[in-house]
Amino acid sequence: MTAGGPLDAALARSQAWCQTWWARLHQPQPWLAEIPDVGPSCEVLLADALFHDLTEVERQGLLAWIRSQQHQDGSWRDAKGEPDVSLTCLGYWARVQAGDDPDAEDLVRALRVIHELGGARQANLSVRLWLAMAGTVEWDWVPSVPSELYLLPEFARLSPARLSPWARQMVTALHLLASGPARIHLYDAAELLLYNRDDAAIPPRLTRPGLAGDLLQAFDTSIRLGRKLPRGVVRRRSLGRARRWIEDAQQAHGGWFSTRPTIYSLMALRVAGVTSDDPRVRSGLDYLRRARGTVEVSASGRVLAQGLTGRPLAKVAGLGVAAGIAGVHERLLAAELTSAGPWQRRADAPIGGWSAEADADAHLDLRTTCTILHALRGTRTPATRASLRRAAEIVLAMQEPDGSFARFERGEATVPLSQLPWRDAEQLNLGGTDDEARVVLTAMVLRELAVLGWRREDDRIAAACAWLERTHARHGHAWSVATLAEVVRATVVQCVADHPLRKACEQQLRTKQREDGSFGDELSTARALLALIAVGDPCAQAQRAARNLVGRVGAIASDGPNLPDTELPGYGLSPRLRDPSAGARAIHAALSSFRREVGQLA
Amino acid sequence: MNAEGHPAIADRYDVVIVGAGLAGCALAQALARADQRRRRSILVVDLHRGVSPRFSGEFIHPRGAQVLDDLGFYNRLVAAGAVDVDGFVVTQSGEQDDPVVLDYASIPGERPRGLSVHHKTLVRVMRQTLRDREQVTLLEGWRVVDLLRDGERTCGVVLTGTEGELRIRCDLVVAADGKASTVRKLAGVPDGRQTLGFTAGLEVTGAKLRHPLHANVILGGPGPMLCYPISRDDGQLSFRLTFDLPHALPAKGADLSRYLIDAFLPYLPGPLAESVADALHRHKGPLELAPTFNLPAPPATAPGLALVGDAAGCSHPITASGMTMGLLDAKYLAREARRRADVSADQPWLDDGSLRRYRIEHDRYVPTRQALADSIFEAFRGEGEGARGIRRALFRYWRSGERQRVRSLALLACAERRPRIFLAEYLKTAHHVLASSFAPRHALHFPVSDRLRQVQGAVGLAGTKVGVVAQVAWSQLRPF
Repeated sequence: MTAGGPLDAALARSQAWCQTWWARLHQPQPWLAEIPDVGPSCEVLLADALFHDLTEVERQGLLAWIRSQQHQDGSWRDAKGEPDVSLTCLGYWARVQAGDDPDAEDLVRALRVIHELGGARQANLSVRLWLAMAGTVEWDWVPSVPSELYLLPEFARLSPARLSPWARQMVTALHLLASGPARIHLYDAAELLLYNRDDAAIPPRLTRPGLAGDLLQAFDTSIRLGRKLPRGVVRRRSLGRARRWIEDAQQAHGGWFSTRPTIYSLMALRVAGVTSDDPRVRSGLDYLRRARGTVEVSASGRVLAQGLTGRPLAKVAGLGVAAGIAGVHERLLAAELTSAGPWQRRADAPIGGWSAEADADAHLDLRTTCTILHALRGTRTPATRASLRRAAEIVLAMQEPDGSFARFERGEATVPLSQLPWRDAEQLNLGGTDDEARVVLTAMVLRELAVLGWRREDDRIAAACAWLERTHARHGHAWSVATLAEVVRATVVQCVADHPLRKACEQQLRTKQREDGSFGDELSTARALLALIAVGDPCAQAQRAARNLVGRVGAIASDGPNLPDTELPGYGLSPRLRDPSAGARAIHAALSSFRREVGQLA
Repeated sequence: MNAEGHPAIADRYDVVIVGAGLAGCALAQALARADQRRRRSILVVDLHRGVSPRFSGEFIHPRGAQVLDDLGFYNRLVAAGAVDVDGFVVTQSGEQDDPVVLDYASIPGERPRGLSVHHKTLVRVMRQTLRDREQVTLLEGWRVVDLLRDGERTCGVVLTGTEGELRIRCDLVVAADGKASTVRKLAGVPDGRQTLGFTAGLEVTGAKLRHPLHANVILGGPGPMLCYPISRDDGQLSFRLTFDLPHALPAKGADLSRYLIDAFLPYLPGPLAESVADALHRHKGPLELAPTFNLPAPPATAPGLALVGDAAGCSHPITASGMTMGLLDAKYLAREARRRADVSADQPWLDDGSLRRYRIEHDRYVPTRQALADSIFEAFRGEGEGARGIRRALFRYWRSGERQRVRSLALLACAERRPRIFLAEYLKTAHHVLASSFAPRHALHFPVSDRLRQVQGAVGLAGTKVGVVAQVAWSQLRPF
């Protein structure tokens, strides 16, 4: 216990945890700061049948991660804890491909779960694509992309350029893979399929039920028939353009938008005739390697998992500031985007802002940008000011017509092609138009813009507040403590004290406090405490929450504790990520704020 | 002077001017000069001994500087540190590195320079000058609490001070007591004042600017900023930087400095930002704040009463035209005084006919200035899609040629008030609205719906200004 009392002791402790996490992020084999499901790891293992790039240590590390995530009933589960047929298919296949005995008890259980859930035909596009590439099923298990779409101008509604950045890379790669068609020698996972009485695999339905879906299915069939016709100049040109898209979208760090687009794009390049020792393929594989990291799966067990991106800048910013690391601001400023990116297609703003990962040079991430703006508070050097000015302009330009803010590209949640009744159509969007991730992002943006001087007098801020108000009216009852806390912090700076949204969210948040002063786990309590402090008057609820938090911090024994993690929005087939360092960061931020704004525990 | 060193106060004056700021002092001086035979008496009353503590206008366009020169203030002001200024430089955003330069010297037939001076210096020098005038009595530290009436006509003022109450009769009371004029209220003149927000002011010494002798308007941030020189001391310039703040102040007290550093400084050019950051860090106590109002010009005269300066209408200070308006008011009211310089001393110096002619003249230049100031403030603040569209259009228009810049500046500097010019400027800007709103600056495939929204906003806002343009044109054309 330090001389300053329990609050100071808890502060010192939480800072030490942040320092531990900072060190973990900067080890030779860094820890993963954003942990996805096992899907990317499985796909890396499957793709290694083509690239032969993994070392034995890496292969065993990834396998250990996949095995560790298998549930007792044999399934792999999604973020909600439900058995997921796609993850289970991939997990099963990756293990068998790596040499595990398919007759092992846990794999037999996994196969049973797959069959109970409807077999691989019910799995997502990724699994069906792997099955098609392995030759286990026909290519009509994956939807066909009309080549001509690539000849459309980029502003056209049906142009693949209008897809979300994740989907754009995936669909383009899929198009090239299907056009090849790609063939990879993988373990024949025919047991993943369900068969009818004639021993023929039951095919999936590619479209949604209904007349529109039936028509689209017929359209899909007609495209396949059209492909059997002699190849014309249109098809050649469109394939050439798709390939150029793939080549142009590779970033300086070697990767594409994230791990899965990188895996698929590399395979597409190989199908297009690029050799394994081509620098583009090598740098792509190096990127995948950098996106892997250590994950702690038990008190003593550490494994290797495939992340979605390289080292996340948001974590560098949050942990660096909390841990008091010298030079972190300069590092953040150096990571500012300096080249034009696809996000500028529809957002009228200069180059600037920050990407989700260090060394990326194309994809803006508004969430990371907001986190870095927060981290740069109080350091107003000439270099910072220029970055802030650009960031403010970019953030404002990323506003959607409905008032909310897009994370990567404007229009990412309202892709026109996603309106078609494809079964996988929602994967073309990135997030929903009013899901909680967008609420949190909009609240973060409003908070950071307030610091930069943009208030409700500006019609764009007023529109964002109105969007929050509408979304709260529809879904606010189901918002988590973390979401409510973010919205309260935003409304405190943007809305007057008696604004209905501010009052409603504050009241809703206050009612979630429990008898012991907590708001659930340490993370929720820390976030709620930040919001209660932001409200202004030091209240009894804030004191109780702080007391509870300090008590809990004191009760955690180890120096590298398993603090509660939080969910982050991911992309595409990995919609949720886990953030294991969130607990340390949030607790330190909340206690620091309490010390600064309130003072001592009452 | 009486035994306590105060000026001897008579019971009656020809003119009582309430307010010894720029407009009041200039009017007193102008009237005194108009009274060649020195038969008239003028009383100037002000609430504050010395200078009002609140910071106020400091930038004067060439036409105003000419009035100051004609009245004999100019040389004294320059000797006291006032700076000759060359015009305006307007920066669209921090990223834009070719600001629009609007030079007074390019306006044909106009004095090539304006004047900028620290407000406290200005008032101190002007009051000192007045004290040398034998027809003028300057009374400081007295508050006007009532007006004396003779039926509908105002015929005097009731003053209170530490030494009691004074009732002073006169032929004409002139309200020169600023935008929150007490006299205007006491006279029951309709007051449609709207509070726009606040202006925070900061003095910065030795800042490095590319155009130090211009008023630098810097946009792009949450509100416009204005930076101009206010004094020269041993060759070193001091600058005034003003920040436009919304009505609901985002921060108060010491927090305001931090807010300004976070919100406004990123938009200032590098070296200036450094000087301002340094000045804000060193600043002790609260920053100087002044409320900004939009006061549509009330009737400038009533029987026995005239309004001048901000009391007769004011706008946001972004166009820096308020001081020039006050000086023009003084000039035109003094012109009427000169006309009646020869009437016998027992007759009112400025009668109802003089006031009517003054009002006709006043009502010709004030609406133009107010319409311009309001529109430019709206565009520069850019709080709506339409306003931002107009702002883009303005810059596009200004960058399209020297002639365009000259015409705009002439209007801004109150040197041009022909209705056809005003109308032509309006139409040309409206034309540029379309082009600038349809063409994005950075986006490769800016959605058509967004372009249309921008155009709709800007055209809609331009449409709301048709009435203002018509009003300005009518004010110039009407025969009475």
